[in-house]
Amino acid sequence: MAHFEIKNLSFSYPAAREKKTLQDINLTIGHGQYVTVCGRSGSGKTTLLRQLKSALAPHGKLTGEILFEGRSLKEVGLREQSGSIGYVMQNPDNQIVTDKVWHELAFGLESLGMDQKTIRLRVAEMASYFGIQGWFHKNVTELSGGQKQLLNLASIMAMQPSVLILDEPTSQLDPIAASDFLNTVRKINRELRTTIIITEHRLEDIFHASDKVVVMENGRIIADDEPRKIGEFLKMGGNHMFTAMPTPVQIFYGVENSLTCPLTVREGGDWLSQLFEGKEVRERQVPEIQEGRSVPEPDEVKDPAVFVKEVWFRYEKDAPDILKGVTMRVPKQSLFAIVGGNGTGKSTTLKTICDICRPYRGKVYIDGKPVQKYKGGELFRGNLAMLPQDPQSLFVKKTVREDLQEMLRGSQKEQAEQIEAIAQTCEITPLLDSHPYDLSGGEQQRAALAKVLLTNPRILLLDEPTKGIDSFFKQQFAQILKRLKTQGVTVIMVSHDVEFCAKYADYVSMFFDGSIVTTNTPNRFFSRNSFYTTAANRMSRHIFENAVTNEDVIELCRKNLKKN
Amino acid sequence: MRFDSYHPMINFIYFTAALVGAVCFDHPAFLAVSYVCAFLYSVKLNGKRSLIFNVCLMPLIPVYAGIYSYYNHYGVTNLHVNFIGNQITLEAVAFGLVIGVKIVTVLMILSCVFAVISSDKVIYLFGRISPKLSLFLSILLRSVPRIRARARRIGISRRGIGKGCAQGNVFERIRHVCALFSILITWTLEDFFESAASMKCRGYSLRGRTAFSIYRFDNRDRGFVIAAFSGILLMAAAAALDQTHIYYNPEIIMNRITAVSFVFYAGYAFFLLLPMLLQIVGEASFRHAVHANHR
Repeated sequence: MAHFEIKNLSFSYPAAREKKTLQDINLTIGHGQYVTVCGRSGSGKTTLLRQLKSALAPHGKLTGEILFEGRSLKEVGLREQSGSIGYVMQNPDNQIVTDKVWHELAFGLESLGMDQKTIRLRVAEMASYFGIQGWFHKNVTELSGGQKQLLNLASIMAMQPSVLILDEPTSQLDPIAASDFLNTVRKINRELRTTIIITEHRLEDIFHASDKVVVMENGRIIADDEPRKIGEFLKMGGNHMFTAMPTPVQIFYGVENSLTCPLTVREGGDWLSQLFEGKEVRERQVPEIQEGRSVPEPDEVKDPAVFVKEVWFRYEKDAPDILKGVTMRVPKQSLFAIVGGNGTGKSTTLKTICDICRPYRGKVYIDGKPVQKYKGGELFRGNLAMLPQDPQSLFVKKTVREDLQEMLRGSQKEQAEQIEAIAQTCEITPLLDSHPYDLSGGEQQRAALAKVLLTNPRILLLDEPTKGIDSFFKQQFAQILKRLKTQGVTVIMVSHDVEFCAKYADYVSMFFDGSIVTTNTPNRFFSRNSFYTTAANRMSRHIFENAVTNEDVIELCRKNLKKN
Repeated sequence: MRFDSYHPMINFIYFTAALVGAVCFDHPAFLAVSYVCAFLYSVKLNGKRSLIFNVCLMPLIPVYAGIYSYYNHYGVTNLHVNFIGNQITLEAVAFGLVIGVKIVTVLMILSCVFAVISSDKVIYLFGRISPKLSLFLSILLRSVPRIRARARRIGISRRGIGKGCAQGNVFERIRHVCALFSILITWTLEDFFESAASMKCRGYSLRGRTAFSIYRFDNRDRGFVIAAFSGILLMAAAAALDQTHIYYNPEIIMNRITAVSFVFYAGYAFFLLLPMLLQIVGEASFRHAVHANHR
C-alpha cells in the first residue's frame, strides 16, 4: 500500500477560479521513499505540499482525492495527522513558538496530551539523536539559523511522524548549515524509514539522494522519475528547470558523450576521467580574460569607487572586534563580491561603507571623499544605497507602485515615468499593482531592488541577494546587475553563493576573522582554492587547471574532444 | 546547590511566606529578623552587587520616616514642632521607620526572587493553573525580543536607503518613524500567520493539552517542604498569639516579651535563612567531595 496516493487532484484559489493552481495531479509515494519536488517559484509546489496536511490546506475548490495509507485524508483526524504527518516550513524563526529549546521540543507532545514521563523520555531521545543536549536549556533567541531549523525538525520528529514534508527548509540558511540540515533529513530517511517529501532550490545536496524527482510546471506534474532520467528529460525539453540541476548533471549534458550521468561531484570527477581516458588533454586552461574585459590587479586600482582603509570596528566598548583592519579597493563599475563564513563580519563591512556602523579606527572613502563628510543625507541621495537581506523590511504600502512612490518627489507624471523606467530595469512591470507581501521571494527581491535604485545610487550594496531565490530568478537578477553596471553603477555584494559569484562577479574577496584575506578575479580566486570553490572546479581540478564555472568545464571538454 | 535547583513550587512557597512575613509583621524584633535575613541572603546570592544595592537602600528608611512623620501627626509623645506648627510625634516616626524597613526588606527579597525564579519557573507555575496560560506566557516571552530585533533590522534597512529614524528634517523623521512602525506591524502579523500554522501543524487546537516541565519533585524537595512548613506553622502560632503585632497609634503598646518569644524569633530566622544555610551546607560538602576526589 502506498503511503500517499494523489488521484486527479485539481485545485484553484477562490480569488482566481479560472486559473487552476494545481491541475490533474497524479502521484504515488511509497513508504520510506525520498521524493524531491522541484519547479520554479509559483509552479504550485507549496500548494501541493500543503494539501497533504489538512491543517495547512488552503481554502479553495478542490477536486480529486488524496489517500493517506489507503484512507481518504479527510477521514484521518486532526490528532492522527498532527502526529503522523510532519511539516517543516521555510522560515526557521516563524515556526518556533515557545521561548525555550526544551519547551519547543515538547510542544507537539503537549498538544497530544501526553503525560510528563512519556514527554520526558521522548524529549531526551530527540535531544540525543539530533545532538541538541548542548543547547537544551537555551533561549531560542540565542540559536543560529541552522540550529533553529534543526530544532524545528527535532520538535516535529518528537511526535514520531511516518512522513516528513519539508517546504524549502534551507532557503534561509547558509550553505554549511543547509547541507548539515539536509544530511540530517537524509539520516532520518535512512535510519528511521521516514518518508520524505521535500522541495528545494539547491538541488546539489538532495538530488543524488532522492528515489524520485517530481518536476512541476504551471500546476502540473511534467515529470516523475528517478533522478538520472530527470536531467535528460529537462535537457531534451529545453526546460528552464535544467539550470537548477546539480553542476555534474548540467556539465554532463553540455558535453556530447554516451556514458552514464553523474549526480555528485565524485561521480562527476570519475566521469571526466573516463571521458578523457587514453586521450591527451591539450587544453587545460580557459583564457583568463573573457569577453574582452581586462581586469587590473586589485591593489593597483586607481580612483576606486569605494576605498576602505584599515577599518576596525566593534559594537560595544568591551565587545570583541568584528572588523580587524579591513582594507579594500572597489573599482568603478565592477561587481565586487565578498564571500566567507557566517559571522565573520561581511555584513558589518557593508554597514561601515554606508556609515551605519562607524569604525573607531581607519577610514572609508566614497569616490575619494571620506564617508563622514557627506552631510545631511547627501550620501543616500544619488551616491549609495543598500539592499537589505530581508526585502520585507522596506515595504510600507499596499501596492508595489505606491511603495516606489514613497521614494520619489515631483509631479505625478514624472513619478509615473520614473516608476515605469525602474520597473522595466528590474522586470517588475506586471507586479506593480500587487501587494508586496503577495510576491514570491525572488519577486520581492526585485521590487526591493527597484525601490533602492530609485535613490539613483552610483554604488549599490547588496546583502546576500540570492538567498532563497530559485535559479531562474538568480539569472534574471544577474542580468539586472549587468545592466546596472553598464549604466555606471558599482555593485558590492556579500554572498554565500559561490556559484553565483564565480559566474557573475568581477572580483571576489575572501573574508575571514574580521578582515579580507585575499582579493582576486573569480577565475584565479576559485581555481586556487580547493575547498571553498565551485562544484565545477572541484569536479574538474584533476584534469583542468582553472575551470571554475559550468561553462568553463563544458568549453574545455568540447575543445579537447574535438582535437582528438 | 543554590535554591534555584529546588522545585519551582518550593521557591514559590518560600518567597510567598517570606514576603507575607515581611509585610505583615510589624513587631520590631520580627522586622529586624526579616531585614537581616533578607540582607544576608541577597548578598549571598548576588555578591557585591547586592551589597552595594542594599547599602544604597539604607538611607531610604530614615528618609521615609521623616516624610511620614511630617504628614502624620498622631501619637502622644511630642518631639518637636515644625515651622508650620505641626507636631512631630515619636509614634509617627517609629511607624514611619517600620514602613521604611518593610519596603527595603521587600525590595531585597525581590532581588532574591529575581535571582532564583527564572521565566521558566514562572511559566511552570502558571502551567499548574492552566496549560494554555503558561503557553501564552511562553509565546509572549518569545515574541517580545523577536519584535525588538525585527524593529532594529527594519531600522538598519531603512537607513540604508536614507529613510532612517534619524535622517532628514523633523517632519521627514516623524514620517520615517511612522513607516518603521507600519512595517513592523505588517511584518509581525505576516509572520504570526506562519507561527499559527506551525502551531496548528503540531496539534495546538486539540483538546486535553498537558504542560511539560523539566522539574522533578525529589526527596530533597520533600525535606524542604517539611522544614519550611514547620517554620510557617511556628510563624502562624506567633501571629495567633499576637507576638508579631504591636500598636503605634496612639501609643506604642506591645505584648510582653517572654522566653517563648525568643523561640518564635529563632524559628522565623531559621525559616528565612533556610535556603542560604542549605546552600552553604551544599557548598561545603561539594568542597569536601572535591577534596576527596583529588586524594
